[in-house]
Amino acid sequence: MPRKRMGTERPPSRTVTDLAERLAGELRNSREGGQPLIYETEYPSGRIRVIVIWDTWDAAAPEDRTSAILRAYDLAEGRESRDKIALASGLTVPEACAAGMLPYQILAALRKGDPLTREQAHQAMLEEGASTLMSPDALQLRFPAEEDAKACVRRLIQRFPGTEDVWLINRDATAQDFAAARDEAGEL
Amino acid sequence: MPRRLIERCQPDSIREFRAAARERFEDGLWLAAAGRRTGAIYLWGYAAEMTLKAAYFALRGVADTAVLTWNGHIQPAINRGRAAPLNIAWPSQGAGHNVRAWAELLTAERSLATATAYTAPFGRDVQRSGQRIGRLWREILRYHKNVAYSHEVQQVRDAAEWLLTHSDAL
Repeated sequence: MPRKRMGTERPPSRTVTDLAERLAGELRNSREGGQPLIYETEYPSGRIRVIVIWDTWDAAAPEDRTSAILRAYDLAEGRESRDKIALASGLTVPEACAAGMLPYQILAALRKGDPLTREQAHQAMLEEGASTLMSPDALQLRFPAEEDAKACVRRLIQRFPGTEDVWLINRDATAQDFAAARDEAGEL
Repeated sequence: MPRRLIERCQPDSIREFRAAARERFEDGLWLAAAGRRTGAIYLWGYAAEMTLKAAYFALRGVADTAVLTWNGHIQPAINRGRAAPLNIAWPSQGAGHNVRAWAELLTAERSLATATAYTAPFGRDVQRSGQRIGRLWREILRYHKNVAYSHEVQQVRDAAEWLLTHSDAL
């Protein structure tokens, strides 16, 4: 009777290879703004947690996204870097929003007389990494931390001087906010 | 008079989760063999969920027979997973049953210390199993009449079986 050992690893698909090559390019040439947003957290053990927020993941399965991230690190930084990754997750902007990971949103509050047009604001937000997946008309330019959002606003003002009052940073309310409010009410 | 089924149930615990995971996995095999594909997936998803929860709470030092509760264990684990440094993407809907998130929580929690961290390939297998089940299984399947494809049955069975057969190492 034939005896066959079955592996669990699949060869990387064309999608994974393409995404990995694009992402490896981003890792080699890190930019100040725009997608993908790549967040690395180093644990005390030396292992790394990687989150890549990128609308390009939209059509890819979660395990393909993880495979692409690991392969990208392999391509850009070598096998050792890849093996330090404990957990790699790829999320689109809407997925990261749904998980409460991008609470800081930049809005363009344009008024008559502002020194930039709606189209210019739209294009600049896209270049800074705004997502069109929720709606092509309502851009979502979001960040996990206030400092990231402030840095983005600084870049936008540098690009369009005199627009300090145009760019607003809005923070979503979180479950922790509600819990804190409840605690405060309880203390009164 | 004998006690009824519900009255005979033990409280939720690591030991009960591990034993129930094997029972539900076996039940799923019988359903799949009878052509009841969605029912099989439905049970395998729970088998995976219980296996991962048991592994996580064992890692956190919960005793085998300690009673696990929503407020005392499940919700705090979800909150810990969502927060830095673990940063697990954990949507609110069906949070307690999110197999992908539990698999990632377990992998990330283990990675915090060198002594408990999985090897890179094993950690990837844990995450991959959670991701595959997460794509095809939700607890809400019970409310729907859809029939699963054969390849979907195989994917969920393989992933649940992998977790179950590696539960000692999780």
